Amino acid sequence: MTQVPLSRIDLTDESFKLSYGRDNGRLRSSIRAAGIIEPVVLLDRKPYIPVVGLRRLDCARSLRMRSIPAIIVDVPEKEALLRAIHANIERGYNTIEKANILAKTNNLGFSRTDILAFMTELDLDPHEKVLDIFLALAGLAPLYKDFIFRNSMSLRNIGSFLRFDTGERKRIVRSLAGLHLTESIVRETFEMLQIIKIRKGKLTGKDIPAFPNTETLRAHLKKRTYPILTSLTRKLKAIRDKMATPPGIDIRVDPFFEKEYIDLVLRIKDNDDIRTALAKISGLADAGYLGSILDLTKGTIR
Amino acid sequence: MTLQKVQFVENTTDIIRQCPGTKHHICCGYQTIDLIEGCVLSCSYCILKAYLKSDAIKVSYDPEATTRELDRRIDAPTEHVLRFGTGELSDSLALDRRLKLNHFLVDYFGEKKKAILELKSKWADFRHLIPRLNPYTVISFSVSPQRFIDSEEKRTSPIRKRLKAARLAQDNGCFVGLHFDPVVIYDGFERDYRYLIEDIGRMLDPEKIIWISLGLLRFPAALHGQLIENKRKYLLTGEFIRGEDGKFRYIKPERIRIYKLLYKLLKKIDSRLFIYLCMERADIWKEVFGITLEDNEGLIRLFDKRIKNLYGGML
Repeated sequence: MTQVPLSRIDLTDESFKLSYGRDNGRLRSSIRAAGIIEPVVLLDRKPYIPVVGLRRLDCARSLRMRSIPAIIVDVPEKEALLRAIHANIERGYNTIEKANILAKTNNLGFSRTDILAFMTELDLDPHEKVLDIFLALAGLAPLYKDFIFRNSMSLRNIGSFLRFDTGERKRIVRSLAGLHLTESIVRETFEMLQIIKIRKGKLTGKDIPAFPNTETLRAHLKKRTYPILTSLTRKLKAIRDKMATPPGIDIRVDPFFEKEYIDLVLRIKDNDDIRTALAKISGLADAGYLGSILDLTKGTIR
Repeated sequence: MTLQKVQFVENTTDIIRQCPGTKHHICCGYQTIDLIEGCVLSCSYCILKAYLKSDAIKVSYDPEATTRELDRRIDAPTEHVLRFGTGELSDSLALDRRLKLNHFLVDYFGEKKKAILELKSKWADFRHLIPRLNPYTVISFSVSPQRFIDSEEKRTSPIRKRLKAARLAQDNGCFVGLHFDPVVIYDGFERDYRYLIEDIGRMLDPEKIIWISLGLLRFPAALHGQLIENKRKYLLTGEFIRGEDGKFRYIKPERIRIYKLLYKLLKKIDSRLFIYLCMERADIWKEVFGITLEDNEGLIRLFDKRIKNLYGGML
């Protein structure tokens, strides 16, 4: 181990940078308090190239440290990359970091077999299709990587996102910015957008404007993807609003209007409740509300 | 046509099975003879892609065991005329010129004279079977507009060839079946189906069409993602919902509209045509045909009646 002046290290070289989206705040505080305990690893070139400890170097620079403890290695780039990967394998890598690793191994000419083996070490399915997704992810612009990272997207959703072209991705990111997106909302949104795209050939701004919340997002996309279902749902809501279902009576309608019947669920405590509920149901039937709901399930109304 | 690798395998399960049908939908009670598992035609919407784990085509050829099982089923007491087909897990004719698997079946049903064999196909060549054909073999074709075939059934025979083959079967003394299945919603599909049905009216003898099935596109959930991934525009234009059986199907008002349209066009050819819905709900039957069917048994009885009308005392 030796003490190396920062001025002799190429701090802009990111050949072995794997980390993404990690907060350096705590690390910086720790270094400020106790200095750098674990030496960084530098590749013996002029200037030195950081291999392991790029975040520590970043903190050292921001803390205006003059030198840093380091281990200098003179190894081929492939081996240096392996050291970089294994330095943090215990800590684990996030999705973007895994993509960076696979892209770098691919760029340095590791064999397909080796790369697929790395995938297993990274807890990924060692399949070509999965590898293709990760390589494409590594090549995305920072805006999209950040969108994927912030929303902790699953591999399936990343694959879907990659199927949109650059302009469409930009629209999607802009439109969904600021929304609280769960895994299932993202999945549903991408699926509907893909269907619209397949039908129309291209997504436009009208297909995906900005939304104040996820409810309006879903409603907008459902109307475009499932117009008949949306219309039936709206009609059902209008009937429900008019009839004001009494408490204790639940009218259950198949969400897809496929079943030709509806279920009436009653909450009953005693005989009086039964009589009251039946009278109310009878009233709803006489007023034509139940008939109107049943009409929606017959497939003759759109 | 590129020939895929065909493996002859020892049969480990029942070769003859009742069509599995699907929950809450009316099934025609057809029985399947699964001599082949897998298909060379590779239609983009094929549910076999979701059901079968391997791409290989597996052949279980054991005429002795198959006819023994057929005897057992056909000779058992029943009120119904049994119908069997080989087109469930494969296409009945696509490989048959090469493998000649149907020879013993056609001969068997011709000699037995108690049940019907239906060979369902999108492949228009059955000339190798002509010398053995008999009235107990129904040659059936799936029919779709050519525009759809060009896009989604690329390795199959063109529609004109299928209809010509159907005519050839009729001219050789066979009844033919037509299966509008899958019927698919895409831009301009109504016009395409109208032309298709006009062609059927011109090219075939309606008196020798034993049955016509109508079935709108439906598929297991596993296939939906694949269709999106493969950007199948023709297959994703319509509006799908999840049916009670978990399968994707067009939303009910669309199904009713299209069935009514096709039914009307077909009945223009000949009002006596026997038309049925494949795997549909009882309420759709009621809305489209005005027929109340309680269960599968109701449809099976309609088939019995149709067959008895056409065959008289021969069955």
